[in-house]
Amino acid sequence: MRALQIVKKNKLPVIVGIIYILLYILVPNKADTSMRSSIYYLIEMFEVLPVIFLLTIALEVLVPKEWIMKHFGEKSGFLGNILSFILGSISAGPIYAAFPISKMLLSKGASVPNIVIILSSWAVIKVPMLANEAKFLGISFMGIRWILTVMAIMLMAWVTGKILSRKELLSGISTTAKPNFYVNQDYCIGCGMCTTMLPDVYEIINNKALVRLSVAHPENKMMILKTVEKCPTKAIIMATEVS
Amino acid sequence: MDIFTLSFWGISIVLVGASFVKSKEKTFEAMKKSKKMMGSMLGEIVGIIFIIGIVLTFIPPESIKSVLGSENTVMATFVAAIAGSVTLIPAFVAFPLIGSFIDVGASIIPAVAFLTTLTMVGVVTFPLEKKEFGFKFAILRNVFSFIAALLIAAVMGVIL
Repeated sequence: MRALQIVKKNKLPVIVGIIYILLYILVPNKADTSMRSSIYYLIEMFEVLPVIFLLTIALEVLVPKEWIMKHFGEKSGFLGNILSFILGSISAGPIYAAFPISKMLLSKGASVPNIVIILSSWAVIKVPMLANEAKFLGISFMGIRWILTVMAIMLMAWVTGKILSRKELLSGISTTAKPNFYVNQDYCIGCGMCTTMLPDVYEIINNKALVRLSVAHPENKMMILKTVEKCPTKAIIMATEVS
Repeated sequence: MDIFTLSFWGISIVLVGASFVKSKEKTFEAMKKSKKMMGSMLGEIVGIIFIIGIVLTFIPPESIKSVLGSENTVMATFVAAIAGSVTLIPAFVAFPLIGSFIDVGASIIPAVAFLTTLTMVGVVTFPLEKKEFGFKFAILRNVFSFIAALLIAAVMGVIL
């Protein structure tokens, strides 16, 4: 039963593990090469992920939510975009290292376009990478590609922001989070009762309360149940079935 | 470890030190939260890394040359963009490889498309991105990046 749960939670590594076992049986030399090139990336991961871990902690403790909202939020404007570019460009590590940081910024009030900018520039624009490109492909090649990429990222960010609202992005994530509860937007009157009781769990966006992502700790469950009771319009729905 | 990553270690250690000075309880709480978040990602990341190993073995970086060398530039660009999306070649391998290829006279348009999708579009990391940010966000970002790569390649072909 427990083993089954662990497998269910880690579908991808289990599948990959099975593939490797098959490879080792069928084509052992290919499996060996695969293993060896994976190790290079594993080392890269261990060089970068602990830093990301430390940074998310420092970000959480040192940077107040208001600051993030002001500089990366919906009203941060062009300056917010520039700041996102800088943050993404001075980063280290592959794109998956950007996920935890971006998610934290998102939960603290960063806007959708700025998240797109951070993720994309994290992937493409990096100082050591640009130096490498200039060395092998020429400075003008690198420069033009850089300018075009920055413009493309700006455009992408703007369009994504138009298509996908912060509210939708957050609710899309929070409905899959555990424990499974959400705020019915049709009933919520934005009174702020829940945000006062649990500011870490709820936030008000456009005069409606929303469940913030990544903070749905099970240990908060008692308090969450209290907010469900206290909500004047009974807009907070606690699903019994955890999907 | 390059100097860049190393300085990141330094900065983040100092910052966490500052967090400790500011509030011990808050730092421990944040640690728990981060541990949870990273823990849920770690399995997938390790899985992805071992997939990269398989992809690199069965589709070695050199094989991209046959894709980029096609006579039909439009077709080659499109295929190169797809190849860049599914493969994850380290950039420091990709740049000299592409560079040597352009030196012998290959078209730069497919090369640019490949270099751009290589880093911006991630088919292998898509499941993780979907899990962290939802399907709609992940698909929008990746599809837009793919289109952007084609556009950047086309414009560069005109300029250079």
